[in-house]
Amino acid sequence: MKALSLIIISIICILLWSSCQKVITPPLAGSSPQLVIIGTVSDTTGPYHVKISNTVSFYADNIYPNVSGASVTITDQTTGISDVLTETSAGTYTTHTLTGRPGDTYQLQVLLNGKTYRSSSTMPYPVPLDSITFDYAVKNKIQPVVYFQDPTGFTNYYKLAIQVNGTNLKRFEAIDDRLSNSKYIHAHLEIDTGIIKRNDLVNVSLVGVEKNAYQFLQEAENVAFNNDNLAAPATPTSNISGGCLGYFSAQTVSSKKRIVK
Amino acid sequence: MQKLKHLILFLIMISPGLALAQSKKTFTISGTIKDNASGETLPGATVSFLELPGKGVTTNAYGFYSIAIAEGEYTMLTSYTGYFTDTLKLRLTKNILTNVSLKTSSGQLGEVKIRSTSSRSNNILTSPAGVQMLSIKDIANVPVLLGEKDILKTIQLLPGIVSAGDGNSGFFVRGGSADQNLILLDEATVYNPSHVLGFFSVFNSDAIKDISIYKGGMPANYGGRLSSVEDIRMNDGNNQKFGASGGIGLIASRFTAQGPLWDHRGSFIVSARRSYADLFTGMSSDTTIKHSKIYFYDVNLKSNYQIDDNNRLFLSGYFGKDVMNFKHDEGLDYGNATGTLRWNHIFNAKLFSNTSLIYSNYTYNVNFDDNTDVIKVSSAITDYHLKQNFNYYLNTANKLNFGFESTYHITQPGAAVSAASSNFNNISLQKKHSLESALYLSNEWNASDQLKITYGVRLSELVVLGPGHFYTYDKDGNKTDSTDYARGKIVKSYFTPEPRFAASYQLNNNSSVKLSYDRNVQNIHLLSNSPFISATIIYLPSSNNIKPEIADQASLGYYHTFRENGYEFSSEIYYKNLQNQIDYRNGANLAGNEYVEADLLYGSGRAYGWETYIKKKSGKFTGWLSYTLSRTERKIPGINNGHYYPATQDQTNHLSLVGMYQAGKKWTFSANFVYNTGNAVTWPSEKFAVDGATVYYYGGRNSSRLPAYNRLDIGATLLAKKTAKYESSWDFSIYNVYGQSNPSDIIFRNDPKNANKTQAVQTTFFKMVPSVTYNFKF
Repeated sequence: MKALSLIIISIICILLWSSCQKVITPPLAGSSPQLVIIGTVSDTTGPYHVKISNTVSFYADNIYPNVSGASVTITDQTTGISDVLTETSAGTYTTHTLTGRPGDTYQLQVLLNGKTYRSSSTMPYPVPLDSITFDYAVKNKIQPVVYFQDPTGFTNYYKLAIQVNGTNLKRFEAIDDRLSNSKYIHAHLEIDTGIIKRNDLVNVSLVGVEKNAYQFLQEAENVAFNNDNLAAPATPTSNISGGCLGYFSAQTVSSKKRIVK
Repeated sequence: MQKLKHLILFLIMISPGLALAQSKKTFTISGTIKDNASGETLPGATVSFLELPGKGVTTNAYGFYSIAIAEGEYTMLTSYTGYFTDTLKLRLTKNILTNVSLKTSSGQLGEVKIRSTSSRSNNILTSPAGVQMLSIKDIANVPVLLGEKDILKTIQLLPGIVSAGDGNSGFFVRGGSADQNLILLDEATVYNPSHVLGFFSVFNSDAIKDISIYKGGMPANYGGRLSSVEDIRMNDGNNQKFGASGGIGLIASRFTAQGPLWDHRGSFIVSARRSYADLFTGMSSDTTIKHSKIYFYDVNLKSNYQIDDNNRLFLSGYFGKDVMNFKHDEGLDYGNATGTLRWNHIFNAKLFSNTSLIYSNYTYNVNFDDNTDVIKVSSAITDYHLKQNFNYYLNTANKLNFGFESTYHITQPGAAVSAASSNFNNISLQKKHSLESALYLSNEWNASDQLKITYGVRLSELVVLGPGHFYTYDKDGNKTDSTDYARGKIVKSYFTPEPRFAASYQLNNNSSVKLSYDRNVQNIHLLSNSPFISATIIYLPSSNNIKPEIADQASLGYYHTFRENGYEFSSEIYYKNLQNQIDYRNGANLAGNEYVEADLLYGSGRAYGWETYIKKKSGKFTGWLSYTLSRTERKIPGINNGHYYPATQDQTNHLSLVGMYQAGKKWTFSANFVYNTGNAVTWPSEKFAVDGATVYYYGGRNSSRLPAYNRLDIGATLLAKKTAKYESSWDFSIYNVYGQSNPSDIIFRNDPKNANKTQAVQTTFFKMVPSVTYNFKF
């Protein structure tokens, strides 16, 4: 009888997908390092940064070689003001005078090893984050919940990012209002178990981005966290031309801070 | 009717060898072949004559045969695998009706007696290339997952047919994708043939009579899918006596009752299954498990009534459902429902007609929990189908098959209902309407005692109908235009002639060669977001953007039987050219997407391979070895720079080995082993950081491989009791005996223990699954 119950339990475990997981190291297609450019201009106080690095192979450490020696310019095409960025640390290029204004179009130009990479991005109008709360329903998993009104009459694209005690969490969420236009949004943010604890100071940012940057971010989020469940997994499509990875985004930021009780 | 007569006349005129046959005085013998104990008709039984070697006819799907031969005295032989051959002396001086009841050759399941009468009755030599027919008896002893005899699992051990992997419902035939198989249950399309994401097929073996599998050389009466036809027929029900049978297993139990109706003029069968794992989950202390609900059930019903000698009605239906809820209401449920009403009418000894009215529906619901509300997303496809088929037994040498069919498809690509307080608006993607019709005719011509040729054509048409907005897109998938069509307005129509040709030439008593060419067209396309378990599935008909998929296939095979039919060997090669194949644009988004067609790319493909098969059919030890070497590729502008790349289902090597051993009267042992090259998959090669998250760089579509799949299953059947009134047996089986971890899912992610590393994590569903089932019959 004991054996039978064991069998039943094992079968139920299988039925409930509590099946076996293991780490494997399959051979992966080889390729060479790719250039990654990530730059933002926002409606918060500058300076703003452009970071240039290279990819590493999947099995290497998550240390991405910085790329120095690029000449980086961001131009506010609406006002005609250009800012030539300075490489303040290896691979990080910083603006001087540029200020971000909703409605303005910004152009990024990167010159590196004789190649030019270009992108332009128009800053959307800001959408304020109303408030944040926490959901304690799942054991050991305190989940931030954001509240905001999605504006009617616009197609909006957002990125949500979390900071805990001043440190950026290594994930983000990209959402749009394709299926929820003009709704009052109350969204639970995905978070790993045990990341947020009581008495932590949590800062959530609602970042308004434009369509092309959103598409990159949304594809990047899928590839990062959901790559086993995609119709056609692929490198996220960059909104920077010239043959590199990454994105350039003129964006609005609205943040709320709260201590977890 | 007038048109039909013209068609027949036309076919008669083009039929070679006719003048010769017409010049003799001939009479027709016709009738129905049945099992004498149950009254079940026997499709595929052979009628031949000792005095006329090489002449013969097989019964159609309803057990009907008709053959015209010259006046004279004959010894008529009626034979069918697993039955004693019936011998009947007759004098033919007029048209006669001869119904034959055959007696099963042994009470033991799976044992096949060698027929010494005539090797002509061995249909491996004469049936068209690429065709295989299996009865439930043939699969009785093959071990399968959780001890359920499963006709769809067993055919995946045959050459050219491969499983899509553990935890996946699909199977691939000759390089086609899972949605390119036409799976019919009493003529009704079954869109999803699996329960619990592939644990079981939806076909309850107690309710099934047999399956015919066409990998190539499809007869003209079949159409609509590129790769294969699996034509599954339900039992009609015992019209001699009442009986019941069933099985009690660890996961599911099943029960079947059947018996005569209306004074043996009709019969019924009811067969039902239900799983009961959910009864145990409720007892668990773990809340996630406690609130999970996982079950399936299905019911098969069939009844028939013999109005008179020339008219018979059949009504059959299937209904099944799967529910998988993980916590509270989050999860998915899906199910098929089919119904078929058929009328067999024998106009005269030469003309047999069947008219079918068919309904088929598949509904798939996913419930997402967005923490405040549950959002239910439904997709569905519904078919209303009329089919009229005629068999015209013109003369000894020519048998015509013609008819027409028409199907009205309604697909719902996704509708979501959510509460007003939810984050989401209600979505209702437009329903899509289309009418798929075909007119077909073919002739089976016995050109000589050795040469048999089947040729014909299927003229198929798809009409895309309103109402709806129809969008057009540029090559980058941007919407360029939209047009509104009213209900019933024709948006677009596609007409495709599909030539079909199959020839077999018998070299001698033991060997034959076969050649076939066929074209198939497919107008219903399945999109799903994962090669594994899919949360989003969408059926789309051909449209102004999606053109009908077309496959042209040629195959050539050699067949040999030896040791008095105790062994059979076959070797086939095939080449397929594919047009209008569909794949996804990079980063395609299928969920709730009104413009989903913008995320599709179209191109061509090719598939070719070599299949070899050797089977031992008699003796205490039986079994087979099947090996396939194949390749299947796609070439689609926008993917991998327009170069050929392997399709997901490209499995270079596929081997299966099946053995069954009868040890004494009580025990039967069995084992099967499967090995295949892993599917082609898209895996990352590089990585980079985006806002802290690790994001992957992919070199190309399907440029990596899953690890090779292999598995050994063993089984044993103990016949516990066998009397005239009661029969019982125990089935024991172990699936994946040596616990090979075959992947059901692979994800690339950050190493949770080391922030500096990324890792690939594989999930295995079925690591050694033992099972016990008790079967009974009375």
